[in-house]
Amino acid sequence: MLHDLFDGYTRSILVFTGVNVLAAYSFYLPFKTGQVSLGQAGFMAIGAYASAVLTQKFGVPFAAALPVAAVVAGMMGVLVGFPALRIKGIYLLLLTLGFAEIVQVITLSWDFVGGAQGFRQIPFIPSILEYVVALIIVLVLFFARLERSSLGRAMDAVHQDETAAEVMGLDVVRIKLLAFGLGAAIAGLAGALYAHHATYIDSNSFNIMVGVEILMFVIIGGSSTYWGPLLGAGFLTLLPEFLRTLRDWLELVPVAWTDFFPMNRVYDFLHDALDFENAKRLIVYGIIIMVMMILRPDGLLTRDSLRRLTMPRGA
Amino acid sequence: MAVCLDIKGLTKRFGGFFALNELDMEVTTGNIHALIGPNGAGKTTFFNLLTGLLAADEGAIMFEGRPLGEARPSRRTARGIARTFQNIRLFPHLTALETVMIGEHCRAYASTWHALGSAVLRRPFGEGGVERRMRKNAMELLSLLGLAAHANERASNLSYGDQRKLEIARALATQPRLLLLDEPGAGLNPNETAALDETITRIRDRGITVVLIEHDMNLVMGISDRVTVLNFGTKIAEGTPGEVQAHPAVLEAYLGEDVKP
Repeated sequence: MLHDLFDGYTRSILVFTGVNVLAAYSFYLPFKTGQVSLGQAGFMAIGAYASAVLTQKFGVPFAAALPVAAVVAGMMGVLVGFPALRIKGIYLLLLTLGFAEIVQVITLSWDFVGGAQGFRQIPFIPSILEYVVALIIVLVLFFARLERSSLGRAMDAVHQDETAAEVMGLDVVRIKLLAFGLGAAIAGLAGALYAHHATYIDSNSFNIMVGVEILMFVIIGGSSTYWGPLLGAGFLTLLPEFLRTLRDWLELVPVAWTDFFPMNRVYDFLHDALDFENAKRLIVYGIIIMVMMILRPDGLLTRDSLRRLTMPRGA
Repeated sequence: MAVCLDIKGLTKRFGGFFALNELDMEVTTGNIHALIGPNGAGKTTFFNLLTGLLAADEGAIMFEGRPLGEARPSRRTARGIARTFQNIRLFPHLTALETVMIGEHCRAYASTWHALGSAVLRRPFGEGGVERRMRKNAMELLSLLGLAAHANERASNLSYGDQRKLEIARALATQPRLLLLDEPGAGLNPNETAALDETITRIRDRGITVVLIEHDMNLVMGISDRVTVLNFGTKIAEGTPGEVQAHPAVLEAYLGEDVKP
Protein backbone atom coordinates (compact mmCIF):
# COMPACT_ATOMS: atom_id res chain seq x y z
CA MET A 1 0.00 0.00 0.00
CA LEU A 2 2.75 2.45 0.98
CA HIS A 3 4.67 1.13 -1.96
CA ASP A 4 2.31 2.66 -4.51
CA LEU A 5 2.15 6.04 -2.86
CA PHE A 6 5.68 7.04 -3.82
CA ASP A 7 7.89 6.80 -6.86
CA GLY A 8 11.00 4.65 -6.64
CA TYR A 9 13.32 7.50 -5.78
CA THR A 10 11.21 8.85 -2.93
CA ARG A 11 10.68 5.32 -1.65
CA SER A 12 14.40 4.77 -1.57
CA ILE A 13 14.99 7.99 0.34
CA LEU A 14 12.28 7.05 2.83
CA VAL A 15 13.68 3.56 3.38
CA PHE A 16 17.17 4.89 4.07
CA THR A 17 15.74 7.53 6.38
CA GLY A 18 13.82 4.82 8.23
CA VAL A 19 16.90 2.62 8.51
CA ASN A 20 18.76 5.59 9.98
CA VAL A 21 15.94 6.21 12.45
CA LEU A 22 16.10 2.57 13.56
CA ALA A 23 19.88 2.79 13.85
CA ALA A 24 19.50 5.95 15.94
CA TYR A 25 17.12 4.09 18.28
CA SER A 26 19.65 1.28 18.56
CA PHE A 27 22.10 3.84 19.93
CA TYR A 28 19.50 5.54 22.10
CA LEU A 29 18.53 2.50 24.17
CA PRO A 30 21.97 1.66 25.59
CA PHE A 31 22.62 5.39 25.92
CA LYS A 32 19.58 5.61 28.19
CA THR A 33 21.59 3.60 30.71
CA GLY A 34 24.72 5.68 30.11
CA GLN A 35 26.44 3.36 27.64
CA VAL A 36 27.84 5.19 24.63
CA SER A 37 28.41 2.81 21.73
CA LEU A 38 30.22 3.64 18.52
CA GLY A 39 29.79 0.03 17.46
CA GLN A 40 26.15 0.03 16.38
CA ALA A 41 27.31 -0.23 12.76
CA GLY A 42 28.91 -3.56 13.71
CA PHE A 43 25.56 -4.88 14.94
CA MET A 44 23.92 -3.56 11.77
CA ALA A 45 26.46 -5.53 9.77
CA ILE A 46 25.72 -8.69 11.75
CA GLY A 47 21.98 -8.29 11.15
CA ALA A 48 22.50 -7.47 7.48
CA TYR A 49 24.79 -10.41 6.76
CA ALA A 50 22.71 -12.82 8.84
CA SER A 51 19.57 -11.96 6.92
CA ALA A 52 21.40 -11.96 3.57
CA VAL A 53 22.89 -15.40 4.20
CA LEU A 54 19.60 -16.88 5.40
CA THR A 55 17.52 -15.58 2.51
CA GLN A 56 20.00 -15.97 -0.33
CA LYS A 57 21.92 -19.10 0.62
CA PHE A 58 19.26 -21.03 2.52
CA GLY A 59 16.10 -19.73 0.92
CA VAL A 60 14.55 -18.59 4.20
CA PRO A 61 11.72 -16.10 3.62
CA PHE A 62 12.58 -12.52 4.58
CA ALA A 63 9.79 -12.33 7.17
CA ALA A 64 11.48 -15.17 9.05
CA ALA A 65 15.06 -14.03 8.45
CA LEU A 66 14.40 -10.54 9.84
CA PRO A 67 13.64 -11.62 13.44
CA VAL A 68 16.55 -14.08 13.30
CA ALA A 69 18.85 -11.22 12.28
CA ALA A 70 17.60 -9.26 15.28
CA VAL A 71 18.17 -12.19 17.64
CA VAL A 72 21.68 -12.91 16.32
CA ALA A 73 22.67 -9.24 16.61
CA GLY A 74 21.04 -9.08 20.05
CA MET A 75 22.99 -12.09 21.30
CA MET A 76 26.21 -10.53 20.03
CA GLY A 77 25.11 -7.40 21.88
CA VAL A 78 24.82 -9.30 25.16
CA LEU A 79 28.26 -10.84 24.57
CA VAL A 80 29.83 -7.43 23.91
CA GLY A 81 27.73 -6.00 26.73
CA PHE A 82 29.45 -8.11 29.37
CA PRO A 83 32.90 -6.51 29.07
CA ALA A 84 31.06 -3.22 28.51
CA LEU A 85 29.66 -3.49 32.04
CA ARG A 86 33.03 -2.92 33.57
CA ILE A 87 34.15 0.09 31.60
CA LYS A 88 32.74 3.53 31.06
CA GLY A 89 33.05 6.67 29.01
CA ILE A 90 35.93 6.90 26.60
CA TYR A 91 37.01 3.30 27.21
CA LEU A 92 33.60 1.93 26.32
CA LEU A 93 33.71 4.09 23.19
CA LEU A 94 36.99 2.46 22.22
CA LEU A 95 35.74 -1.05 23.02
CA THR A 96 32.66 -0.66 20.83
CA LEU A 97 34.75 0.96 18.10
CA GLY A 98 37.09 -2.01 18.24
CA PHE A 99 34.14 -4.37 18.00
CA ALA A 100 32.83 -2.65 14.86
CA GLU A 101 36.32 -2.81 13.37
CA ILE A 102 36.53 -6.57 14.07
CA VAL A 103 33.17 -7.14 12.37
CA GLN A 104 34.34 -5.11 9.40
CA VAL A 105 37.55 -7.11 9.03
CA ILE A 106 35.70 -10.41 9.34
CA THR A 107 33.17 -9.47 6.66
CA LEU A 108 36.03 -8.29 4.46
CA SER A 109 38.00 -11.52 4.70
CA TRP A 110 35.31 -14.20 4.97
CA ASP A 111 34.68 -15.56 1.50
CA PHE A 112 31.46 -17.31 2.49
CA VAL A 113 29.81 -13.87 2.74
CA GLY A 114 31.54 -12.52 -0.35
CA GLY A 115 34.70 -11.18 1.24
CA ALA A 116 36.12 -8.13 -0.49
CA GLN A 117 33.69 -8.52 -3.40
CA GLY A 118 30.81 -7.96 -1.06
CA PHE A 119 27.55 -9.85 -0.76
CA ARG A 120 25.62 -9.66 -4.04
CA GLN A 121 22.10 -10.44 -5.13
CA ILE A 122 20.43 -10.19 -1.79
CA PRO A 123 16.70 -10.72 -2.48
CA PHE A 124 15.02 -7.34 -2.98
CA ILE A 125 11.93 -6.94 -0.82
CA PRO A 126 9.42 -4.60 -2.50
CA SER A 127 7.46 -4.06 0.72
CA ILE A 128 10.53 -2.98 2.69
CA LEU A 129 9.08 0.49 3.35
CA GLU A 130 6.12 -1.11 5.11
CA TYR A 131 8.49 -3.10 7.31
CA VAL A 132 10.49 0.03 8.13
CA VAL A 133 7.45 2.12 8.97
CA ALA A 134 5.87 -0.67 11.04
CA LEU A 135 9.06 -1.18 13.04
CA ILE A 136 9.45 2.53 13.72
CA ILE A 137 5.87 2.71 14.97
CA VAL A 138 6.44 -0.31 17.21
CA LEU A 139 9.66 1.22 18.57
CA VAL A 140 8.10 4.62 19.24
CA LEU A 141 5.27 2.90 21.12
CA PHE A 142 7.81 0.80 23.02
CA PHE A 143 9.86 3.83 24.02
CA ALA A 144 6.74 5.80 24.92
CA ARG A 145 5.84 3.06 27.37
CA LEU A 146 9.37 2.58 28.60
CA GLU A 147 9.69 6.27 29.38
CA ARG A 148 6.61 6.18 31.59
CA SER A 149 7.53 2.92 33.27
CA SER A 150 9.51 2.02 36.34
CA LEU A 151 12.13 0.31 34.18
CA GLY A 152 12.61 3.48 32.12
CA ARG A 153 13.06 5.48 35.29
CA ALA A 154 15.52 2.88 36.56
CA MET A 155 17.51 3.23 33.32
CA ASP A 156 17.65 6.99 33.80
CA ALA A 157 18.86 6.45 37.36
CA VAL A 158 21.59 4.06 36.18
CA HIS A 159 22.65 6.69 33.66
CA GLN A 160 22.86 9.40 36.30
CA ASP A 161 24.61 7.51 39.11
CA GLU A 162 25.32 3.85 38.61
CA THR A 163 26.65 3.23 42.10
CA ALA A 164 23.73 4.89 43.82
CA ALA A 165 21.34 2.98 41.56
CA GLU A 166 22.92 -0.35 42.46
CA VAL A 167 22.85 0.47 46.17
CA MET A 168 19.16 1.39 45.87
CA GLY A 169 18.50 -2.17 44.75
CA LEU A 170 18.51 -1.78 40.99
CA ASP A 171 20.06 -4.74 39.20
CA VAL A 172 22.46 -2.57 37.21
CA VAL A 173 24.08 -5.54 35.45
CA ARG A 174 20.80 -6.83 34.02
CA ILE A 175 19.46 -3.38 33.20
CA LYS A 176 22.61 -2.45 31.27
CA LEU A 177 22.84 -5.81 29.49
CA LEU A 178 19.17 -5.64 28.57
CA ALA A 179 19.59 -2.16 27.12
CA PHE A 180 22.76 -3.08 25.25
CA GLY A 181 21.33 -6.34 23.91
CA LEU A 182 18.03 -4.82 22.80
CA GLY A 183 19.91 -1.92 21.23
CA ALA A 184 22.05 -4.37 19.26
CA ALA A 185 18.91 -6.24 18.17
CA ILE A 186 17.39 -3.01 16.86
CA ALA A 187 20.63 -2.34 14.98
CA GLY A 188 20.39 -5.85 13.53
CA LEU A 189 16.91 -5.05 12.23
CA ALA A 190 18.14 -1.82 10.69
CA GLY A 191 21.03 -3.61 9.00
CA ALA A 192 18.83 -6.38 7.60
CA LEU A 193 16.34 -3.87 6.20
CA TYR A 194 19.18 -1.94 4.61
CA ALA A 195 20.59 -5.10 3.01
CA HIS A 196 17.29 -6.12 1.43
CA HIS A 197 16.74 -2.70 0.00
CA ALA A 198 20.25 -2.09 -1.30
CA THR A 199 20.54 -5.79 -2.40
CA TYR A 200 24.30 -5.43 -2.14
CA ILE A 201 26.42 -5.02 0.97
CA ASP A 202 30.12 -5.17 1.62
CA SER A 203 32.37 -4.64 4.59
CA ASN A 204 32.39 -0.91 3.90
CA SER A 205 28.60 -0.56 4.09
CA PHE A 206 28.87 -0.54 7.88
CA ASN A 207 32.17 1.16 8.50
CA ILE A 208 33.25 3.17 11.50
CA MET A 209 31.83 6.39 10.09
CA VAL A 210 28.35 4.84 10.03
CA GLY A 211 28.69 4.34 13.78
CA VAL A 212 29.76 7.95 14.20
CA GLU A 213 26.81 9.18 12.12
CA ILE A 214 24.38 7.16 14.23
CA LEU A 215 25.77 8.88 17.30
CA MET A 216 25.34 12.27 15.60
CA PHE A 217 21.69 11.53 14.78
CA VAL A 218 20.97 11.09 18.48
CA ILE A 219 23.17 13.91 19.76
CA ILE A 220 21.71 16.39 17.27
CA GLY A 221 18.13 15.19 17.62
CA GLY A 222 18.29 15.10 21.41
CA SER A 223 19.10 12.19 23.65
CA SER A 224 16.84 12.93 26.62
CA THR A 225 13.60 11.99 24.88
CA TYR A 226 12.67 9.17 22.53
CA TRP A 227 11.54 11.68 19.89
CA GLY A 228 15.13 12.92 19.60
CA PRO A 229 16.55 10.01 17.57
CA LEU A 230 13.56 10.12 15.22
CA LEU A 231 13.96 13.84 14.68
CA GLY A 232 17.75 13.74 14.39
CA ALA A 233 17.94 10.84 11.92
CA GLY A 234 14.96 12.13 9.94
CA PHE A 235 16.24 15.68 9.82
CA LEU A 236 19.79 14.87 8.81
CA THR A 237 18.81 12.28 6.20
CA LEU A 238 16.10 14.36 4.60
CA LEU A 239 17.95 17.68 4.75
CA PRO A 240 19.62 17.28 1.33
CA GLU A 241 16.24 16.48 -0.20
CA PHE A 242 14.70 19.60 1.28
CA LEU A 243 17.59 21.59 -0.05
CA ARG A 244 17.08 20.10 -3.48
CA THR A 245 13.47 21.22 -3.48
CA LEU A 246 14.45 24.66 -2.30
CA ARG A 247 16.99 24.79 -5.08
CA ASP A 248 14.24 24.14 -7.61
CA TRP A 249 12.25 27.02 -6.19
CA LEU A 250 15.26 29.24 -6.43
CA GLU A 251 15.16 28.81 -10.20
CA LEU A 252 12.05 30.97 -10.13
CA VAL A 253 13.83 33.84 -8.42
CA PRO A 254 14.90 36.60 -10.85
CA VAL A 255 18.51 36.22 -11.88
CA ALA A 256 19.31 39.81 -10.86
CA TRP A 257 18.61 38.92 -7.22
CA THR A 258 20.68 35.82 -7.12
CA ASP A 259 23.56 37.67 -8.73
CA PHE A 260 23.47 40.09 -5.89
CA PHE A 261 23.42 37.31 -3.33
CA PRO A 262 24.12 33.88 -4.84
CA MET A 263 21.74 31.82 -2.72
CA ASN A 264 21.62 29.15 -5.37
CA ARG A 265 25.32 28.58 -5.04
CA VAL A 266 25.04 28.29 -1.26
CA TYR A 267 22.30 25.73 -1.77
CA ASP A 268 24.31 23.92 -4.38
CA PHE A 269 27.18 23.62 -1.98
CA LEU A 270 24.99 22.50 0.91
CA HIS A 271 23.16 20.00 -1.20
CA ASP A 272 26.35 18.62 -2.63
CA ALA A 273 27.91 18.42 0.79
CA LEU A 274 24.91 16.72 2.39
CA ASP A 275 24.35 14.17 -0.34
CA PHE A 276 24.21 10.73 1.16
CA GLU A 277 26.77 9.32 -1.22
CA ASN A 278 29.17 12.12 -0.48
CA ALA A 279 31.59 12.05 2.41
CA LYS A 280 31.57 15.85 2.43
CA ARG A 281 28.36 15.72 4.44
CA LEU A 282 30.51 14.86 7.43
CA ILE A 283 31.94 18.38 7.19
CA VAL A 284 28.45 19.77 7.54
CA TYR A 285 27.66 17.32 10.39
CA GLY A 286 30.82 18.47 12.10
CA ILE A 287 29.81 22.10 11.81
CA ILE A 288 26.29 21.33 13.02
CA ILE A 289 27.71 19.45 16.00
CA MET A 290 30.00 22.33 16.95
CA VAL A 291 27.19 24.87 16.70
CA MET A 292 24.84 22.58 18.61
CA MET A 293 27.30 22.00 21.44
CA ILE A 294 27.35 25.75 21.96
CA LEU A 295 23.68 26.57 21.42
CA ARG A 296 21.79 23.40 22.36
CA PRO A 297 24.12 20.88 23.99
CA ASP A 298 21.20 18.58 24.83
CA GLY A 299 20.04 18.30 21.23
CA LEU A 300 17.26 19.90 19.22
CA LEU A 301 14.53 18.27 21.28
CA THR A 302 14.77 17.83 25.04
CA ARG A 303 12.39 16.58 27.67
CA ASP A 304 11.92 20.13 28.89
CA SER A 305 11.16 21.50 25.46
CA LEU A 306 8.64 18.70 24.93
CA ARG A 307 7.03 19.51 28.27
CA ARG A 308 6.77 23.14 27.24
CA LEU A 309 5.18 22.14 23.94
CA THR A 310 2.61 19.79 25.40
CA MET A 311 1.67 21.64 28.58
CA PRO A 312 -0.06 24.98 28.79
CA ARG A 313 2.06 27.80 30.13
CA GLY A 314 2.39 27.96 33.88
CA ALA A 315 1.50 24.30 34.35
CA MET B 1 17.24 -9.41 71.99
CA ALA B 2 17.61 -10.43 68.40
CA VAL B 3 20.87 -9.59 66.70
CA CYS B 4 20.48 -7.65 63.46
CA LEU B 5 24.13 -7.40 62.51
CA ASP B 6 26.90 -9.63 63.79
CA ILE B 7 30.35 -8.62 62.62
CA LYS B 8 33.44 -10.66 63.34
CA GLY B 9 37.03 -9.70 62.59
CA LEU B 10 36.15 -7.34 59.76
CA THR B 11 39.34 -6.04 58.13
CA LYS B 12 39.86 -3.78 55.13
CA ARG B 13 43.27 -2.69 53.93
CA PHE B 14 44.08 -0.06 51.34
CA GLY B 15 47.67 -0.99 50.48
CA GLY B 16 49.40 -1.11 53.84
CA PHE B 17 46.83 1.11 55.52
CA PHE B 18 44.25 -0.55 57.72
CA ALA B 19 40.98 1.25 57.12
CA LEU B 20 39.33 -1.29 59.39
CA ASN B 21 41.21 -3.66 61.63
CA GLU B 22 39.60 -6.77 63.11
CA LEU B 23 36.35 -5.04 63.94
CA ASP B 24 33.91 -7.03 66.07
CA MET B 25 30.52 -5.48 66.51
CA GLU B 26 26.96 -6.45 67.24
CA VAL B 27 23.91 -4.38 66.42
CA THR B 28 20.74 -5.29 68.26
CA THR B 29 17.51 -5.34 66.29
CA GLY B 30 15.41 -2.25 66.88
CA ASN B 31 18.26 -0.15 68.23
CA ILE B 32 19.70 3.13 67.08
CA HIS B 33 23.38 2.32 67.06
CA ALA B 34 25.76 5.21 66.54
CA LEU B 35 29.20 4.87 65.03
CA ILE B 36 31.49 7.76 65.89
CA GLY B 37 35.14 8.55 65.60
CA PRO B 38 37.50 11.13 64.14
CA ASN B 39 37.74 11.65 60.37
CA GLY B 40 39.43 8.73 58.69
CA ALA B 41 38.51 6.31 61.46
CA GLY B 42 36.94 3.89 58.98
CA LYS B 43 33.26 4.63 59.51
CA THR B 44 32.28 5.11 55.87
CA THR B 45 34.50 2.18 54.88
CA PHE B 46 32.42 0.12 57.30
CA PHE B 47 29.23 1.17 55.49
CA ASN B 48 30.81 0.41 52.13
CA LEU B 49 31.68 -3.09 53.33
CA LEU B 50 28.17 -3.62 54.67
CA THR B 51 26.52 -2.54 51.42
CA GLY B 52 28.99 -4.42 49.24
CA LEU B 53 30.57 -1.41 47.55
CA LEU B 54 33.88 -2.69 48.89
CA ALA B 55 34.96 -6.28 49.49
CA ALA B 56 36.35 -7.10 52.92
CA ASP B 57 39.84 -8.56 53.15
CA GLU B 58 38.96 -10.62 56.18
CA GLY B 59 36.09 -11.21 58.51
CA ALA B 60 32.43 -12.01 58.18
CA ILE B 61 29.20 -10.07 58.34
CA MET B 62 26.07 -11.89 59.47
CA PHE B 63 22.81 -10.08 58.72
CA GLU B 64 19.83 -11.50 60.58
CA GLY B 65 21.73 -14.71 61.20
CA ARG B 66 22.82 -15.29 57.60
CA PRO B 67 26.19 -14.34 56.11
CA LEU B 68 26.18 -11.56 53.51
CA GLY B 69 29.07 -13.20 51.70
CA GLU B 70 29.98 -11.54 48.44
CA ALA B 71 26.49 -10.53 47.40
CA ARG B 72 26.28 -7.50 45.13
CA PRO B 73 24.93 -4.24 46.58
CA SER B 74 21.54 -4.64 44.91
CA ARG B 75 21.13 -8.14 46.42
CA ARG B 76 21.94 -6.77 49.85
CA THR B 77 19.34 -4.05 49.37
CA ALA B 78 16.86 -6.76 48.45
CA ARG B 79 17.74 -8.53 51.68
CA GLY B 80 16.88 -5.43 53.66
CA ILE B 81 19.91 -3.18 54.01
CA ALA B 82 19.61 0.43 52.85
CA ARG B 83 21.89 3.40 53.19
CA THR B 84 22.37 7.09 52.56
CA PHE B 85 25.56 8.68 51.30
CA GLN B 86 27.72 11.16 53.16
CA ASN B 87 28.46 13.03 49.94
CA ILE B 88 24.91 13.19 48.62
CA ARG B 89 24.36 10.90 45.63
CA LEU B 90 20.93 11.62 44.24
CA PHE B 91 19.87 11.29 40.61
CA PRO B 92 20.09 14.96 39.60
CA HIS B 93 17.55 14.89 36.75
CA LEU B 94 14.85 12.91 38.53
CA THR B 95 12.18 14.64 40.58
CA ALA B 96 11.95 13.98 44.30
CA LEU B 97 8.97 11.71 43.71
CA GLU B 98 10.75 9.75 40.96
CA THR B 99 13.81 9.43 43.19
CA VAL B 100 11.81 7.75 45.90
CA MET B 101 10.10 5.51 43.34
CA ILE B 102 13.55 4.29 42.27
CA GLY B 103 13.97 2.96 45.80
CA GLU B 104 10.65 1.12 45.49
CA HIS B 105 11.55 -0.52 42.17
CA CYS B 106 13.28 -3.52 43.74
CA ARG B 107 10.21 -4.32 45.83
CA ALA B 108 7.66 -3.68 43.08
CA TYR B 109 9.32 -5.94 40.49
CA ALA B 110 10.85 -9.31 41.24
CA SER B 111 13.32 -9.00 38.35
CA THR B 112 14.29 -6.83 35.42
CA TRP B 113 12.22 -9.13 33.20
CA HIS B 114 9.12 -8.44 35.26
CA ALA B 115 9.85 -4.73 34.98
CA LEU B 116 10.24 -5.03 31.21
CA GLY B 117 7.05 -7.03 30.95
CA SER B 118 5.17 -4.49 32.96
CA ALA B 119 6.58 -1.65 30.85
CA VAL B 120 5.56 -3.29 27.58
CA LEU B 121 2.35 -5.13 28.42
CA ARG B 122 0.68 -2.55 30.61
CA ARG B 123 -2.67 -1.16 29.53
CA PRO B 124 -2.30 1.37 26.71
CA PHE B 125 -3.38 4.42 28.69
CA GLY B 126 -2.87 5.51 32.25
CA GLU B 127 -0.79 3.82 34.89
CA GLY B 128 -0.96 0.25 35.98
CA GLY B 129 -1.89 -0.66 39.53
CA VAL B 130 1.72 -1.27 40.55
CA GLU B 131 2.83 2.14 39.35
CA ARG B 132 -0.05 3.86 41.11
CA ARG B 133 0.77 2.07 44.36
CA MET B 134 4.45 3.04 44.03
CA ARG B 135 3.47 6.67 43.53
CA LYS B 136 1.21 6.60 46.57
CA ASN B 137 3.86 4.99 48.81
CA ALA B 138 6.46 7.46 47.56
CA MET B 139 4.19 10.40 48.42
CA GLU B 140 3.71 8.99 51.93
CA LEU B 141 7.47 8.73 52.43
CA LEU B 142 7.97 12.27 51.13
CA SER B 143 5.34 13.47 53.62
CA LEU B 144 7.08 11.58 56.42
CA LEU B 145 10.27 13.49 55.65
CA GLY B 146 8.39 16.77 55.11
CA LEU B 147 9.15 16.91 51.40
CA ALA B 148 5.63 16.50 50.00
CA ALA B 149 5.60 20.08 48.70
CA HIS B 150 8.73 19.42 46.65
CA ALA B 151 7.54 16.15 45.10
CA ASN B 152 7.78 17.38 41.52
CA GLU B 153 10.98 19.36 41.87
CA ARG B 154 14.21 18.04 40.49
CA ALA B 155 16.45 16.51 43.12
CA SER B 156 19.31 18.81 42.13
CA ASN B 157 17.13 21.89 42.74
CA LEU B 158 16.36 21.01 46.36
CA SER B 159 18.15 22.70 49.22
CA TYR B 160 21.03 20.87 50.85
CA GLY B 161 18.98 19.86 53.87
CA ASP B 162 16.12 18.64 51.69
CA GLN B 163 18.54 16.60 49.58
CA ARG B 164 19.71 14.85 52.75
CA LYS B 165 16.11 14.13 53.67
CA LEU B 166 15.40 12.87 50.16
CA GLU B 167 18.30 10.44 50.54
CA ILE B 168 16.62 9.06 53.65
CA ALA B 169 13.26 8.82 51.89
CA ARG B 170 14.84 6.97 48.96
CA ALA B 171 16.55 4.54 51.32
CA LEU B 172 13.30 3.93 53.23
CA ALA B 173 11.52 3.22 49.95
CA THR B 174 13.55 0.03 49.59
CA GLN B 175 11.72 -1.19 52.73
CA PRO B 176 14.85 -1.92 54.74
CA ARG B 177 15.09 -3.65 58.09
CA LEU B 178 18.51 -2.07 58.60
CA LEU B 179 19.11 1.55 57.66
CA LEU B 180 22.63 2.96 57.49
CA LEU B 181 22.72 6.74 57.79
CA ASP B 182 26.04 8.34 56.84
CA GLU B 183 26.22 11.75 58.51
CA PRO B 184 22.60 12.71 57.95
CA GLY B 185 23.09 15.83 60.06
CA ALA B 186 26.06 17.26 58.16
CA GLY B 187 25.40 20.81 57.06
CA LEU B 188 21.99 21.08 58.70
CA ASN B 189 20.98 24.09 60.80
CA PRO B 190 19.91 23.53 64.45
CA ASN B 191 16.19 23.45 63.56
CA GLU B 192 16.77 20.87 60.88
CA THR B 193 18.91 18.80 63.24
CA ALA B 194 16.13 18.76 65.79
CA ALA B 195 13.70 17.58 63.13
CA LEU B 196 16.21 14.92 62.04
CA ASP B 197 16.37 13.69 65.62
CA GLU B 198 12.63 13.13 65.52
CA THR B 199 12.74 11.55 62.07
CA ILE B 200 15.34 8.98 63.08
CA THR B 201 13.40 8.08 66.21
CA ARG B 202 10.27 7.66 64.12
CA ILE B 203 12.12 5.40 61.69
CA ARG B 204 13.27 3.26 64.60
CA ASP B 205 9.69 3.15 65.90
CA ARG B 206 8.67 1.62 62.55
CA GLY B 207 10.83 -1.35 63.56
CA ILE B 208 13.86 -0.43 61.46
CA THR B 209 17.28 -0.87 63.02
CA VAL B 210 19.41 2.23 62.46
CA VAL B 211 23.19 2.48 62.31
CA LEU B 212 24.17 6.11 62.37
CA ILE B 213 27.46 7.78 61.53
CA GLU B 214 27.38 11.28 62.92
CA HIS B 215 29.67 14.03 64.16
CA ASP B 216 26.97 16.03 65.92
CA MET B 217 27.42 14.71 69.46
CA ASN B 218 24.20 16.24 70.77
CA LEU B 219 22.27 14.32 68.15
CA VAL B 220 24.21 11.10 68.75
CA MET B 221 24.03 11.12 72.51
CA GLY B 222 20.39 12.15 72.52
CA ILE B 223 18.93 9.36 70.41
CA SER B 224 21.38 6.45 70.38
CA ASP B 225 20.78 3.27 72.32
CA ARG B 226 24.36 2.21 71.84
CA VAL B 227 27.54 3.89 70.62
CA THR B 228 30.64 2.36 69.07
CA VAL B 229 33.78 4.49 68.80
CA LEU B 230 36.33 3.86 66.08
CA ASN B 231 39.80 5.31 65.74
CA PHE B 232 42.25 4.36 62.99
CA GLY B 233 40.07 1.43 62.03
CA THR B 234 40.00 -0.07 65.49
CA LYS B 235 37.17 -0.14 67.99
CA ILE B 236 38.27 1.77 71.06
CA ALA B 237 35.06 1.86 73.04
CA GLU B 238 31.48 0.68 73.02
CA GLY B 239 28.54 1.16 75.31
CA THR B 240 25.63 3.41 76.15
CA PRO B 241 26.08 7.10 75.33
CA GLY B 242 26.87 7.81 78.97
CA GLU B 243 29.52 5.10 79.22
CA VAL B 244 31.21 6.14 76.01
CA GLN B 245 31.33 9.82 76.92
CA ALA B 246 33.24 9.00 80.09
CA HIS B 247 35.59 6.51 78.46
CA PRO B 248 39.24 7.67 78.69
CA ALA B 249 40.20 6.27 75.27
CA VAL B 250 37.41 8.26 73.66
CA LEU B 251 38.48 11.49 75.30
CA GLU B 252 42.02 10.84 74.18
CA ALA B 253 40.99 10.14 70.59
CA TYR B 254 38.88 13.27 70.38
CA LEU B 255 40.84 15.73 72.50
CA GLY B 256 44.43 14.44 72.45
CA GLU B 257 46.28 12.75 75.27
CA ASP B 258 47.49 15.87 77.02
CA VAL B 259 43.99 16.92 77.93
CA LYS B 260 42.87 14.64 80.72
CA PRO B 261 39.91 15.55 82.86
